[in-house]
Amino acid sequence: MTAVAPRPTDSGVRTSKRTEILEARPVNLDGFVEEWPEKGLVAMESDFDPQPSVRVEGGRIVELDGRTRDRFDFMDTFIADHAIDVEACEEAVATPSIEIARMLVDPRTSRADVVALGRGLTPAKILDVVKLMNVVEIMMGIQKTRSRRTPANQAHSTSAKDNPIQVAADAAEGAVRGFAELESTLGVVRYAPLVAIGLQVGGQVGRGGTLTQCALEEATELDLGMRGITAYAETISIYGTESVFVDGDDTPWSKAFLASAYASRGIKMRFTSGTGSEVQMGNAEGRSMLYLEIRCILMAKGAGVQGLQNGSISCIGVPGAVPGGIRAVAAENLVASWMDLECASGNDQSFSHSPMRRTSRLLPQMLPGTDFVCSGYSAVPNKDNMFAGSNLETDDYDDWNVIQRDMQVDGGLRHVREDVILQVRNKAARAMQALFAELDLPVITDEEVEAATYANSSDDYPDRDVLADLDGARSVMERGITGLDLVKALERSGFGEVAENYLKVLRQRVSGDLLQTAAVLTGDFVPLAAINDANDYAGPGTGYRLSGERWEELKKLRHVTSAENPEEEVV
Amino acid sequence: MTAAVESVRTLALREIGPAERGTRPEEVVIALSPAFGDPFTKTIVDVPHAEVVRQLLAGIEERGGSARVIKVYRTTDLAAIAHFGAKLSGSGIAVGVLSRGTTVLHQRDLARLSNLELFPQAPLLDAEVFRAIGANAAQYAQGQSPRPVPTRNDQMARPRWQAKAALLHLKEFECIDHARAAVEVEPVITRVD
Amino acid sequence: MTSNVTELTAVDYPLSINRPDLLRTPTGKTLDDLTMAAVVSGDITSEDLRISPDTLALQGQLAAAAGRRQLAENFTRASEMTAIPDDEVLAMYNALRPNASTAAQLSELASRLEDTYSAGTCAALVREAAQVYAARNLLAEDLPVAPLAPEEA
Repeated sequence: MTAVAPRPTDSGVRTSKRTEILEARPVNLDGFVEEWPEKGLVAMESDFDPQPSVRVEGGRIVELDGRTRDRFDFMDTFIADHAIDVEACEEAVATPSIEIARMLVDPRTSRADVVALGRGLTPAKILDVVKLMNVVEIMMGIQKTRSRRTPANQAHSTSAKDNPIQVAADAAEGAVRGFAELESTLGVVRYAPLVAIGLQVGGQVGRGGTLTQCALEEATELDLGMRGITAYAETISIYGTESVFVDGDDTPWSKAFLASAYASRGIKMRFTSGTGSEVQMGNAEGRSMLYLEIRCILMAKGAGVQGLQNGSISCIGVPGAVPGGIRAVAAENLVASWMDLECASGNDQSFSHSPMRRTSRLLPQMLPGTDFVCSGYSAVPNKDNMFAGSNLETDDYDDWNVIQRDMQVDGGLRHVREDVILQVRNKAARAMQALFAELDLPVITDEEVEAATYANSSDDYPDRDVLADLDGARSVMERGITGLDLVKALERSGFGEVAENYLKVLRQRVSGDLLQTAAVLTGDFVPLAAINDANDYAGPGTGYRLSGERWEELKKLRHVTSAENPEEEVV
Repeated sequence: MTAAVESVRTLALREIGPAERGTRPEEVVIALSPAFGDPFTKTIVDVPHAEVVRQLLAGIEERGGSARVIKVYRTTDLAAIAHFGAKLSGSGIAVGVLSRGTTVLHQRDLARLSNLELFPQAPLLDAEVFRAIGANAAQYAQGQSPRPVPTRNDQMARPRWQAKAALLHLKEFECIDHARAAVEVEPVITRVD
Repeated sequence: MTSNVTELTAVDYPLSINRPDLLRTPTGKTLDDLTMAAVVSGDITSEDLRISPDTLALQGQLAAAAGRRQLAENFTRASEMTAIPDDEVLAMYNALRPNASTAAQLSELASRLEDTYSAGTCAALVREAAQVYAARNLLAEDLPVAPLAPEEA
């Protein structure tokens, strides 16, 4: 209703027919505001940000960006003591910013060199560097500094009715389309165990080795991970000012402890932050959005977490509304990559009414490639997206595939034939049916399986008995059901291949391979991380190039006229 | 929807005295934020503050309730505003409203960060919703358990309103006056034809 | 830790494929032991699907070899934490949240990490937090000296 209603026009004043057309364009439903730098409502160029400085005494940093240690807040302290290399910082900060910016862009400077220099930089110095870069230079920087060589993508699979069968079917379709990671969350939090099971089972049907997570309150999320019902975690939020961090009921030390807790269970984890969150919560302390985000990035690095989801994320409406905001969002992805963290680069929340603007916001991540271009792409229609909508959704699948083919860029997805999609959706729903029966969870009917096979949204499914499901969800937790129990039940009920895939994902915990930076699993269960698949971009002709078998795969679309027989389409 | 109403009514909040604890067991307190009515005059989607108050009062009255209105100056935290109102309310029920429109139904005995009903998406609150909130408040005050006002959701509220909401929040924050205690006010709604 | 292993380098990654010989579960099983047959027959429990402190040390070597000092430090803390039961890890995390613990409680937590779990680097992190929390006014208020009488509670 009101949010998408056209702007009221001042009757009485005559406007041109062209103005009427422009007024009706979707972009004019977006909100734009003037900057207010004193309050931090400014993207990245503010007179109120500190000037870079660093001073070391007795082996510790005693001054950081104009503040002496006695005036440090806890972000300063954590960054000075954990993120910045003390031996390297004075020389690094003394390097002219223009030199560093050029190193980021110049292909003849290796990633290793620019990452090494970055280890000694302070937040204000990093900001000083990226402020010199335009958006194309920022993309050049991302292309070189992203940690994994092969780009990937992440999906949201959620349901407006928290229907676990829908989540499973859409996860299966997402996995077969190519997403390396699948993420869910809930409307009704108590549904979490069933939805997390649906996501895991669906993911392993679509292709082996997809990794799944369920965004919940920190402690609950860790619990599901420890049980092996989810495979990784991402919604571990951090903030750029002390006051907002405390409002989020955490500190850098509690989050660092949590990072180690995940690693101690062999579970992959990344933090989440983004421009705009502090000003949105009214406590930006007069700093620009990007300056505060750079503090988050360094805090994440100091905690030793392997990666970060950033790119404004749930606050995208804030940088999106100020001048240069989307440049700042690209810059925060660059800084995360440059600081040698896995970067899941946003493009994940509804951003604009304008299809053209949605696409332009996407390109700075999609063209250079990032560790996860979207974090994530809505693998359900946006109205079923319980993260409040994504910049990309199921309706956009074909557009995405065409852009990949037009630009010869790998965005992690591919076109998949309808028969294959129907088959994996059906199998995911049947696997859930069998699993629920095996575990004495509420019945999944044949009618629901049929609906899941052909559905688009939650409207296309029969309603579930919500109270019975919530009882079932509770019993999953009370009975202490683990991932291993699910593997056994799938095996017993005739879904051996799914069970085998799931077991292989769980087995990864023993090796810890997925704990390394930017690790994902290929369909053959080969861990691919910024060690064995390190980004080796060094200018034209190097780094990841879309070629060979994968390029042939991406040439396929829903409709391509056959060259051999123009009366037919390529299948 | 708003354009027609906009020119019709204005709101003045006439100060009566310090905000004090009420005694009527079925009364509802409407607790308004520092910038409500002055300097701001309408919500994030241009619903006039006069209309917000008028509809809340109408909703309360049509369920046989009575209301008092207070204005708070020391915080812009909606939970705190509403909880403060609830503690002054004879029934223990209060409606807290921020000037951008965000609204919560609160009860004295609940924890501050808990609530009876929360309406976090200010852009989706129109006259009809404010009336329904008033009606529910009156029913809670009479010890009933009304069906919660249906929540609305809009995927595209973020791109249109998130930044303006941040701006309004910052502006309202500037209206905080720590020296000024909460007051009871009489809402004077004037038709301007 | 396995003493006859030279420092690992990038070529050893992924360990699950290139160095399965180095991997053992905390219960002493190899990756090859973790088969579906063993799961079905009940020979594998959740305990067998955990990472061992030795494996975390190996991954720490790989992280350090890739120049990722802080990631390696995280793996050191994680390696110590493998000994702590799930519930207690969660409780410790909650204790580290702002305004959740007094100075004395954080000090006890650090001692417990050190004495019960030989988790020296984790203890150091907690002590560091305690110092910062004190300076930034993020410690819980001390409990009242006289507890409330039962009828008041």
